[in-house]
Amino acid sequence: MKFDTIIIGGGLAGLTAGISLQKEGLKCAIVTTGQNALHFFSGTFESVKEPSQRMTELFSEAGIRVHYSEGVRLMPLGTFSEADLSLEDVSLFPQPKIGRKALVVNLTGYHDFFSSFIAEGLEKQGLECRIRFLSLPEFSPFSAMRSADIARKMDQAWEKVVQEVRLLIKDEDTVVLPQVFGLTDPSVPGRIRQGLPAQVAFVGTMPPSVPGIRTQIQLKKRFEVLGGTYLMGDMVENAHVHDGRVHSVVTKNLDQHYLEADSFILASGGFFSKGLKSNPFEVSEPVFGLDVDFDSDRNTWYNPSFASDQPYMNYGVKTDSALRACRDGVAIENLYAIGSVLGNTRPEFGSGAGLAIRSAFAATDEILKNRKA
Amino acid sequence: MNNNEFDVIIIGGGITGAGTQRDCAMRGLRTLLIERSDIATGATGRNHGLLHSGARYAVNDPESAEECIKENMIIRRIASHCVEECDGLFITLPEDDLGYQQTFVDACRNAGINAEIIEPDLARRLEPSVNPDLIGAVKVPDCSVDPFRLCAANMLDAKLRGGQVRLHTTVTGFIREGDTIKGVHTLNRQTGETADYYARIVVNAGGIWGHDIAALAGVNIGMFPAKGSLLIFAHRVNGRVINRCRKPSNADILVPGDTVCIIGTTSTRVPFEECDNVAVTPDEVNLLITEGAKLCPSLLSTRILRAYAGVRPLVSADNDPSGRNISRGIVCLDHEERDSIKGFITITGGKLTSYRLMAEIATDMVCRKLGVDKACETAVTPLPGSEENSYEAVAQKIWEAPTTAQKAAASRMGTRASRIRTDDRRDDDLICECEEVSVGEINAAIDRLDVSTLTDLRRRTRVGMGTCQGEFCACRAAGLLAKAHGCVEKEREDIAKFMQERWKGNFPIGWGDTLREAEYTQWVYKHVLGL
Repeated sequence: MKFDTIIIGGGLAGLTAGISLQKEGLKCAIVTTGQNALHFFSGTFESVKEPSQRMTELFSEAGIRVHYSEGVRLMPLGTFSEADLSLEDVSLFPQPKIGRKALVVNLTGYHDFFSSFIAEGLEKQGLECRIRFLSLPEFSPFSAMRSADIARKMDQAWEKVVQEVRLLIKDEDTVVLPQVFGLTDPSVPGRIRQGLPAQVAFVGTMPPSVPGIRTQIQLKKRFEVLGGTYLMGDMVENAHVHDGRVHSVVTKNLDQHYLEADSFILASGGFFSKGLKSNPFEVSEPVFGLDVDFDSDRNTWYNPSFASDQPYMNYGVKTDSALRACRDGVAIENLYAIGSVLGNTRPEFGSGAGLAIRSAFAATDEILKNRKA
Repeated sequence: MNNNEFDVIIIGGGITGAGTQRDCAMRGLRTLLIERSDIATGATGRNHGLLHSGARYAVNDPESAEECIKENMIIRRIASHCVEECDGLFITLPEDDLGYQQTFVDACRNAGINAEIIEPDLARRLEPSVNPDLIGAVKVPDCSVDPFRLCAANMLDAKLRGGQVRLHTTVTGFIREGDTIKGVHTLNRQTGETADYYARIVVNAGGIWGHDIAALAGVNIGMFPAKGSLLIFAHRVNGRVINRCRKPSNADILVPGDTVCIIGTTSTRVPFEECDNVAVTPDEVNLLITEGAKLCPSLLSTRILRAYAGVRPLVSADNDPSGRNISRGIVCLDHEERDSIKGFITITGGKLTSYRLMAEIATDMVCRKLGVDKACETAVTPLPGSEENSYEAVAQKIWEAPTTAQKAAASRMGTRASRIRTDDRRDDDLICECEEVSVGEINAAIDRLDVSTLTDLRRRTRVGMGTCQGEFCACRAAGLLAKAHGCVEKEREDIAKFMQERWKGNFPIGWGDTLREAEYTQWVYKHVLGL
């Protein structure tokens, strides 16, 4: 099978690259195991403030609603973080004192939304807080109470939540709700906002992230609408590289067929996503055997403090100025590395979701430039 | 008697202290146990979790071997819900001397240990994980034991008999009248409150820290801190304990326990200053993996969950200041006789398997001094939770059609699983999915077992001990603790401390899947949850 570009990895970086290239008329395939970092996305595009024109287009064409305003966002454990560009259902506030009185609404038996921590965090800012638990008939005592299970039912039940909360509100000016709404319909968080007589703060839950899964679905759909091929549940096992170029890759499911392309993008993620592999002696890149920037002394990989920045998180695939991945010190002509597989080797692209999108744009620009040339 | 007056104060909430408190309480004494941290935080919770058959000591230390097999049989009876009667193998590898096997078996039999030579083929069938190259195997009655559970059960029994427990409380000094110890000054490390407690006898059961406690009383005990490092694997690869049939050496015991297995140990002398914060070195990790793989080759491809180390409280004989003649046996010091300080005794040395005997010896001495004439009954009276032998039967009685999670709870709590609230179906919700710990079990532990932090909760329920290492359960459990204790802010700090404590055991073995999990966890806590 022959494509213009084959992308390894179907997370934010891979999908952004795929959408950009399809839009320019290239024929792309994305090979992905299925799960990716969007499944535990905080809803905030780390290291991005005001979106560029190109990001705005990417999001609006996929139906993803984002917003940014200077200030803070309320975190699941009741702390505050600096605001970055966020999905619309992540509420941003000018300052931590987000209101006067807050009603924190949880669901009976739901331990993955930390209502008491949120209430305490808000009280510390001078808000008065009440916590109330809803018991909806949709959630019997035997229901699994994890975010994805709840979100599936909330697609139908969200209007009941609005009704119940309307009855509960006294003189609160703020309602705090878990991010379990709009799994398949991105308009739901906005409609909940309209339906309540107070400002709504949606706050994250334990993963999986409902806004993250929705974003992944939207991007994948956009990629497929543009004609892209999304090979889900598959993984690249082997690559044919000679004369400084990648010619084809072989996947687990399509082991009889070579997937050929003019260019390849490696968007396989960090350690968790298996884009990077480690053993007691080294950090490696498993598909192409690329050069990885890491310290050979394992004792320096970690900071003994859990909360500190961890050196191992900086490790990533080495690239040249055009994001072409290096092997044995030489850049492979038509292989680009983007997203978390870069670690922190290219800090100019930011980190997290910011790195994923910016490096995807940069790599696709290179591919398009070379194509024209 | 006043509220702060007791017959006996026991310093140290390890298994020796807990066992001694139970024994004293069973003989009708008013007891107070003081522990500077939580239960089982020293060597008690930092070992293999092996209930020795004694076979390991049979050749070199027949006295310890005899002690072990007797106690092994007793602990099986009195602590059935803490013990898994899994048996053990002593295997001979091609590089070992097969001639040693007969010496070993003879020594075992002399000590009363039922050691049976079996064909290598049978050994491979009984224990498919064993190194298939083995040339000899001996079957012995080793067991695995959960030391946290055992410690908690002893303390709970003491409490049910009127004993009092002060955890997170440090003894800052002794109250003396002339040459007699009358009590202790204490500081609660969580509240900062100080308090004095009085007793007719103070028992020092502080493990390696007993050295410092004795020094506070002006007594010198010649102790030698010996660090032992171990690795926990994320899967239970072996059904039975696997030992090397040779002179005891490094990393030659692999013990299965619950859902994991543990390889160890090393033995290194460490300075006293390091006892509070012993770390596992990369060299030790390498040695444990290399040697461990000789017992069980699949360890090389099994994910390692944690590395940890404990400090054995070894004592040199009184007339041997050089420490050459270090004993692993039980040491019970009467400081009146030895140092002319009345009202103070030290119980130390020994091992997890012989904790009950140590407690009996110490309590006998206490009773002699107090003129109490009541025989020890700890060898025949089951611990709370162990009144029934089979956890399956226990679960059946409580729940009729128990789920796997309920069976897991029964295996941890024994008959005390009946204390788990069942009136609300939501009490069955799982907080810890790796170890299947429910809301009800956590609340039962908070209610009855002196839990103040997540780490305390972990020792009593296994919350956070599984493959996710607390990533998913820490915040959920913290929510329950916050509700029970009414202090959310403290719980947020508690989560941070708990995750730090988990990381401490993860990073020394931080590669492969462990590093994957760590990256995920660190990302989620920092960027998603906002800790």
